[in-house]
Amino acid sequence: MNESTSPRRVAARVMLGALAPDRIIFTLAALLLLVFLVLPVAAILVKVARATAPLDALGSPVVTEALRLSLVTSSISAAVAAVLGTPVAFLLARYRFPGRAVVDSLVDLPMVLPPAVAGLGLLMAFGRRGILGGALDVLGLELAFTTAAVVMAQTFVAAPFYIRSAKAGFEGVDRELERVSATLGSSRLRTFFRVTVPLAGPALMGGAVMAWARALGEFGATIMFAGNTIGRTQTMPLAIYIAFQNDLTAALVLAGILVVVSFAVLFTFKALLGRSPLGAARA
Amino acid sequence: MRRRLDGFELDVAFQADEGRVVLFGPSGAGKSLTLQAITGVMRPDAGRVEVNGRLLFDSASGVNLPPQVRRVGYVPQSYALFPHLTVEQNVAYGVQRLDAARRRALVQEMVELVGLQGLERRRPRELSGGQQQRVALARALASRPELLVLDEPFSNIDTGLRGTLRRELLDLQARSGITTLVVTHDLDDAFFLGSRIVVIDRGRVLQAGSREDIFYRPATRRVAEFVGTGNILRATVLESNSQRLLLDWQGRPLEAEPISENRAEPLPLSRGQEVEVCIRPAQVMIVREDRLPHLPPPENPFSGTIVEEALQAEAYVLRFRLAGSPACPAGRAAPYDLEIELPDYVYLRLGLDRKKDATISIHRSAMHVIPAT
Repeated sequence: MNESTSPRRVAARVMLGALAPDRIIFTLAALLLLVFLVLPVAAILVKVARATAPLDALGSPVVTEALRLSLVTSSISAAVAAVLGTPVAFLLARYRFPGRAVVDSLVDLPMVLPPAVAGLGLLMAFGRRGILGGALDVLGLELAFTTAAVVMAQTFVAAPFYIRSAKAGFEGVDRELERVSATLGSSRLRTFFRVTVPLAGPALMGGAVMAWARALGEFGATIMFAGNTIGRTQTMPLAIYIAFQNDLTAALVLAGILVVVSFAVLFTFKALLGRSPLGAARA
Repeated sequence: MRRRLDGFELDVAFQADEGRVVLFGPSGAGKSLTLQAITGVMRPDAGRVEVNGRLLFDSASGVNLPPQVRRVGYVPQSYALFPHLTVEQNVAYGVQRLDAARRRALVQEMVELVGLQGLERRRPRELSGGQQQRVALARALASRPELLVLDEPFSNIDTGLRGTLRRELLDLQARSGITTLVVTHDLDDAFFLGSRIVVIDRGRVLQAGSREDIFYRPATRRVAEFVGTGNILRATVLESNSQRLLLDWQGRPLEAEPISENRAEPLPLSRGQEVEVCIRPAQVMIVREDRLPHLPPPENPFSGTIVEEALQAEAYVLRFRLAGSPACPAGRAAPYDLEIELPDYVYLRLGLDRKKDATISIHRSAMHVIPAT
């Protein structure tokens, strides 16, 4: 046996590998960022725990209204992003058409735009004096500064997250499976719902969860396009910002709730994905 | 049954009248493209595809049935089982229109047909390659196709298991009676599975015929190379008439049959014409030294030396150089004239392990003569 491949040597090299300088550098660098990411979140929870009578804040209608509004609007936004975003993602994943690169970039644009720009844009399009304002007025519709505006602002910034993920999911589905489905008598639409969507399922769900999380955290576009009316347009992030200016404890409690809810949703989703037959195969 | 399609890079026309047709050719020959045109997932530029008298595609009259109504069962190379469905659900995929009771009975029948009882609730990734292939077959057969097409069915299967699966497929085809088209680049697959073989290369049909025609009577040198003829000798015609076909091979006389079983008329060969002589290595015989004197003399005897040998499984492949042959004949890298294949026990009985000088004999009927191109 070659001296350098004897089991002992190999074991020795593996142990040395764990102590190799490159590993130590990577591990330290990773720890640095992890601490940086975890510390602010932990700080909020610690401060909430130390606050005097934090639960009093929960009884305030401002908090309960903001929480209810946030959960409702972010869920609707995620659903809208999924329903309207799925065809977009499928077209981008499957078809080559003129202007495809332009469409692809436009879809990503809200991700990189500052939310304030998004809010201003929505106002200029759908606001009373916006370019569609007159037409909407004729129909008796007023969108700006309503709950609908909250959903629109959230959908605008969150949809790209869904489309990105769904597109990657559709691209990952083996075309041969769709071909076989066709030879087994299935129309394209049936193939889409029976083969493509189930197989892209984890990516679609993941995209929806990311869109939901982004919608839940939406602040800038919402405050510009929907305003800050308690019970109608004041979502959790807005309520936290307002509370921060006069009642730090209330702001902390609101932030704590947001952290816990967000983490619970992400964690539950990952756990479910790991248990599903497809998720396990892909993980 | 007739199928025909012509494309700008693929120009293939063949008919399949028997139960099992093999489309045989090297990678990149256009085999898979032909399959795609038949299943309907690819649209040829021009041509015609017809199965059992039913027109599936015809560019002239604008007919192009979508894959879902073609009734062509497709078993791809990867098997493409639906990973999110169980074995049962995979098999039932194409028969959703049946009511639940009939569907269940049909699925059970198919599962039994391919011998997968007990695995109904498994998912594809929990199955071996051979089991996956059987699920793919059952799934394709469940919707009662008029034609079953298989793309490289054994390329993902271990060599040891291939023989068994080939026999199973043959058996399944016989029992279901469905016309089957197999695409393969594997010579053994082609020989075993095809009652009729279509040899294609670079998008063109080189030869279509019975298995025996393709293997023993290749139409061109290229087909002979594809089917592993082994020895393709260049010779010159000395004499050609209905009684006698005498050739000159490297200055030695070589006598072939002027008339063969598939050729009532002698080949129209003229004196001095160049020909290719195809001889399968297993058909070259080594003359026993203790050959009994009352036997007729061996046909086409040549003496020479074994210059190279290799044991492949249970057969020896010998490279034989004729006595007096130049050490490095023109056109060949290795200095040998003939390849000979014989079972290991024959090799030992003839004492070839000790003695490398031998006399060989090529039977007249073992030679297939093609005019050189």
